[in-house]
Amino acid sequence: MREVSELTSGPLGIGHFVNLIRKTIKQDRLFQNQAIKGEVSQWKQYPSGHTYFTLRDNDGQMSAVIWRGRCKIDDSINEGSEVVVIASLDLYAKQGRVQLIVDKIEPINAIGEMEETLRKLKIKLREEGVFELEKKSLPLIPKHIAIITGTGSAALSDMNRLIDNRWPGLRRTVIGVLVQGKNAAEEIVRGISVARKLSQPDIAKKRGQPPVDVIIVGRGGGSPEDLWAFNLEPVARAIIATETPIISAIGHESDLLVSDMVADVRASTPSNAIERCVPDYNAIQMYLSELGERLDSSSIRQIGDVRNKLKLLSSMLKAAPMAGFTKVKIKIQGLASRLKNSSKVLLAKELSRISNFETSLSAVHPYRVLERGYSMVQNESGDVLTEIKQLEIGQRITMNFADGLADADIIEIKNKSE
Amino acid sequence: MQISLKLKIKVSDIMSKKKTYDEAVIRLEEIVALLERGGKGLDETLLLYEEGAVLLKQCQEDLKSAEGKLSELRLEDFEKELSKD
Repeated sequence: MREVSELTSGPLGIGHFVNLIRKTIKQDRLFQNQAIKGEVSQWKQYPSGHTYFTLRDNDGQMSAVIWRGRCKIDDSINEGSEVVVIASLDLYAKQGRVQLIVDKIEPINAIGEMEETLRKLKIKLREEGVFELEKKSLPLIPKHIAIITGTGSAALSDMNRLIDNRWPGLRRTVIGVLVQGKNAAEEIVRGISVARKLSQPDIAKKRGQPPVDVIIVGRGGGSPEDLWAFNLEPVARAIIATETPIISAIGHESDLLVSDMVADVRASTPSNAIERCVPDYNAIQMYLSELGERLDSSSIRQIGDVRNKLKLLSSMLKAAPMAGFTKVKIKIQGLASRLKNSSKVLLAKELSRISNFETSLSAVHPYRVLERGYSMVQNESGDVLTEIKQLEIGQRITMNFADGLADADIIEIKNKSE
Repeated sequence: MQISLKLKIKVSDIMSKKKTYDEAVIRLEEIVALLERGGKGLDETLLLYEEGAVLLKQCQEDLKSAEGKLSELRLEDFEKELSKD
């Protein structure tokens, strides 16, 4: 309202007027921090560090400035580059010139090119039938895991922690590579090639290790650019060529990369990769002992059944006339001797179980009790006396100590209740 | 006689060719199921028991063999190491 009153009270100074416009522009959010795309022309970087250019397209243009140090400028930006800027409109009152003050500038050609390459790669791989290739299944227990990831990364410490929770001391080899930036793809490919070598039996044998039987290639979350190496063809090809089961574990649940599509298993995160390939050690141990017990008990039961039948058979044989049965008899004798031999193994197991039982029994043996300061009382015929009513005055008793015996006569009997 | 002959060949196979852990566990589960179902003759029971015992031992050894050290190196160091082999 103030502006209107000024307008009506007489002519405005032009500077004043221009500044009014500037004020309006600055207050309108449409003109502030706006993303704008266009083509760069008259690109000039001055020794002062400021960069001036014109942003244009077929329908319009405007001059723009990037103040020194305001933002990172991609080297590829030059005359003719397609860019997206985040900029605010300002009016330079002295010259009456509007211009864009740029806070951020990104070449869109590069992004566009990357997306285009990715699209073409996916089509190419699909046409080759790569996505339909049979996925190799993970071993029930991994004897040697190779992890290809960034050294010292949070993803790596997450994976290590999880492995140690599930299977402490599980063998693993961590191959440290760059997982983002220009050299990442090349290093990931070389990392996979190292893991493949470690999965060859002869090389593994020389190193005194079991061959690598699971490979995890992964990294934690990041921007699409950070994860881009896992979208590149050389990485995809290296994964496809790998004979050992390989898990792709990149970023978060929502990130789907080419490496995820070509790997044998796609884990949603690096931690998920461990959950997929490392079982719980205790659970496996328990399962195996359960199988062992079932094997023993079912065999013992079977042999028992057979033994009974055998007894029956031999008694029938004894009763039967010998002629014509010799063959059968020999067969049964053979079986009987095998039964004896194999039963020995089972018997030995039973014996060891019994001896374990004995060990625990001996802990409660009477003599152990006597050693603790108690004594055991027997009558003359050797019965152990436990109650007062088994006694009478004048009776001779024998007291057992841990280290010897003593005879005594009963001179008085007192009932606890009395 | 036919059956026991076939079984003997199977057992000798086991002794000569080491199974992977996965194969061993699957076969062991199969054997336990067969024995629990019952109705097998002595010959077969003993063979199955022997085979099962061998497999169980192998599985337990396999578990132990999965324990080892953690080696962590930069890519180049592994490449250097492997080029020596």
